[in-house]
Amino acid sequence: MKGAITSQYPRDASETNHVEYILVASFDIDRGSVMQHQYPAAVGGDEHMLAELMLPDQTHMRSQDWTIFFLHKDAALEEDNEHKEQNGDERAGAEQPDEPNGETKEAAAQAADAFDGPPLIYVLNLVNTKQDQTVKRGAVVKAMAICTRHSFLHIYKPLLLLALEQYFANPAIETLANLYNAVNSMDLSLMPRLSHYERFILQSSDAKDMFIEKFEALIAQRVESNNEQDPALPSPNTQHPLRSRYGLPRDTHEFESVVKYANIPVPIKVPTALSPETVGDFSLIKLVTTFSTPHTTSPSPFSPTHPHLTTAGTLTHPIIVLLNALLTQKRIIFLGHNLPSSEVAEAVLAACSLVSGGILRGFTRHAFPYTDLTKIDDLLKVPGFIAGVTNPAFGHKTEWWDLLCDLSTGRMRISNRVQQASPTEGVLFFQQPSHMPTSQAGPTSGISAIAAADATGDGAFMGSVLKAIEERHGENAIRSRFRRWVLKFTRLAAAFEELVYGASVLHIAPSPQKSEADGAREVLGHGYVWPSNQAKTNELAANATRIEGWRNTRSYYNFIQDIAAFYAYQPVKAIDLQHQHDRLANLRLGPALAADIYLAICAAVQSGDEINQLLAVVINTSSDHRRGGTGFAGQGQGLFFLAYGLFHPNVDVRMQVAELLARIREHEAGRHFWDDMGMFMKLACEKVLSAAQAKKFDDEEDEEK
Amino acid sequence: MGASISKMMAKIFGSKEMRLLMLGLDAAGKTTILYKLKLDTDVTTIPTVGFNVETVTYKNTKFNVWDVGGQDKIRPLWRHYFSGTQGLIFVIDSNDRDRMDEAKKELERIIQDREMKDALLLVFANKQDIRGAMSPKEVSNELELDRTAKGHVWKVEPSCATTGEGIFEGLAWLSNNVKLPPK
Repeated sequence: MKGAITSQYPRDASETNHVEYILVASFDIDRGSVMQHQYPAAVGGDEHMLAELMLPDQTHMRSQDWTIFFLHKDAALEEDNEHKEQNGDERAGAEQPDEPNGETKEAAAQAADAFDGPPLIYVLNLVNTKQDQTVKRGAVVKAMAICTRHSFLHIYKPLLLLALEQYFANPAIETLANLYNAVNSMDLSLMPRLSHYERFILQSSDAKDMFIEKFEALIAQRVESNNEQDPALPSPNTQHPLRSRYGLPRDTHEFESVVKYANIPVPIKVPTALSPETVGDFSLIKLVTTFSTPHTTSPSPFSPTHPHLTTAGTLTHPIIVLLNALLTQKRIIFLGHNLPSSEVAEAVLAACSLVSGGILRGFTRHAFPYTDLTKIDDLLKVPGFIAGVTNPAFGHKTEWWDLLCDLSTGRMRISNRVQQASPTEGVLFFQQPSHMPTSQAGPTSGISAIAAADATGDGAFMGSVLKAIEERHGENAIRSRFRRWVLKFTRLAAAFEELVYGASVLHIAPSPQKSEADGAREVLGHGYVWPSNQAKTNELAANATRIEGWRNTRSYYNFIQDIAAFYAYQPVKAIDLQHQHDRLANLRLGPALAADIYLAICAAVQSGDEINQLLAVVINTSSDHRRGGTGFAGQGQGLFFLAYGLFHPNVDVRMQVAELLARIREHEAGRHFWDDMGMFMKLACEKVLSAAQAKKFDDEEDEEK
Repeated sequence: MGASISKMMAKIFGSKEMRLLMLGLDAAGKTTILYKLKLDTDVTTIPTVGFNVETVTYKNTKFNVWDVGGQDKIRPLWRHYFSGTQGLIFVIDSNDRDRMDEAKKELERIIQDREMKDALLLVFANKQDIRGAMSPKEVSNELELDRTAKGHVWKVEPSCATTGEGIFEGLAWLSNNVKLPPK
């Protein structure tokens, strides 16, 4: 059995506050933006600049606005962090061997973060402008901000609304102190910690009770420890109200808590599973719709074009251009003239999540969800940024950006001063006759010709996204789609590097272990699966320019580090599970080949963690968009391709597959996948299992004789 | 082709576009002037956080007017708005004699910037409706325009933003004196 379930935010970890600082700034009619209070201490850095960020441009035009910005801790604090990190390593090393893998993975992820520098501080800021005839020049503009290391900072919105109102009534530091104490008393200790795969499975699932077992276990542990502390409550009768007091979540995707502020119990919902690079609440649907609608109704060609960006010619879909710009680390500005600064901030956060897909990193760290002209000199020092502004002056300065995304018009512009991409080895590779892509439309004529035929598949992909939005599949389904797009991109990049450069650091080859007992044949192969070599060449050629553009960026190097760090904690190393499952899903295999794959998967997947990995693989497998796989979201086609092994001509394969499915059925996440499987498959599985049981019985009888 | 025709029309009828930057000390009346131009009504303004920008068409000229907040601490920001500016509107509170020296120093800093070397200078001697306001002549003397705005085409226009007096006259002067950039 597994070790005890641990909390994401244990009660005894008192040194880690939810909220680190509360700030108040106001607009002084003589001096401009001024910081008024910082609690419990000064954040440090340029106080005036902070105050300016808290009072966004044109805030006098609206009564209320939200902004988000990030603080990067300075060098002095970084040292402090390194120190902590060392301690962390020691702890990781001393970990018990029977600890669930999730724990150590977490440590690995944190270590990987440290390459980038210390964690960001996220700032959520509310600004109010109140007309007041009793004051000079008729208005009071004040802003209050919460600084936290939680990426789910949007949960504090209702509290900030209350607190800023309080501050207008009582403009004193006590108001900040009350808020600070209230938010830091928030109890998240019954929110269980999830491993990497568990988080991913939860995010991809709509089941409201996915991993409810972990919540139950955590509550049971709490009840038990309370009883130990207070032996006066031993009877089960008194335990029961305790249990219901702690309460199981109605939806395990969110953890519900309450913050009591100013005598008002404010309900708070914290997301249980967070992806890297997902900060605040934003809507990919909104981002996609903003830029798709004008493109659909009256497409306007990009001019100039750029090999990294316009991968399907002048009429490349703007969202694809944005993804390409993010991947190839261009300077991107979201401009929302006359829009609230919250809108530009949300667009920036959405863009970071769009390109990350929970897989790539390094975007939020170079994102400026809201900024203004005063910081332009610093902004321009950042290579490849994502910034949100409301000042139209940015639009005129084509030397400041590579891609301008205008939220008011829903149009994107590529700067005429964008740095040109020089032809690289990888791009030239596909111009050699032996690697020339071909298209069904006509004779071979290189990369440009197939761009028109949607060789990247992006046209079909965007079509399926827009259709899903139209059919109201919801934010989660749309995020899953982009996640799969990013995953596919990284897998294409790995195949590209292997083909062009002979090796890739984006992939760690499986390390087959000779199985002693059954002598199953090695199942080799890794990476993305194509039906034919020509399909592979075409797809890689179509992606060549942006892959080459990506190969020098922060997110590329972060990804290499993450793969290496993560590999150590990956449960299944003997085979490339994703590759093998994709072969089952996408290729027509003969029975012998299929048998090898089924047996290898069944042999590799035994423990709970291994099942988690397999479930993640199952979610990730998507049949190609062009082959009509548009109907599913989230869990994909589930266990179908595995269960198909129940009909394999080889009885051993049928039995192994049935036993694997039985293991999945008993697994806390797997049972949901089992439930989603068709009745036909379930019956088939039962049949194979009972046949196996009967055979076993017979064998035992034989032995007795 | 549509674009080239409208360009030709612009040549015949003298329709032009002009980028204006309106600056001045805080509470001089910049935002009131802007909305008088835009809406032709007297609006009650509150201090500008950041900037306002509006497009105003007057006598065949499209004016793109940027109005930037005037507080002491914000003034270093003004330089970001300089490039591409064809006309500077500098607004003076004609009753604030105590701060004329401060106004002069700020104006000097702006108009002598390299990026502003071709800009016209229109000074609004604003708030003329208040008794005891400085005359245009006094304002130009206080600002030492002969020296500070040397090499620039300049004019001081008496104005009252709330009634609109002088405001459109000022625009007309800018429109008549602007040099069209060589096409």
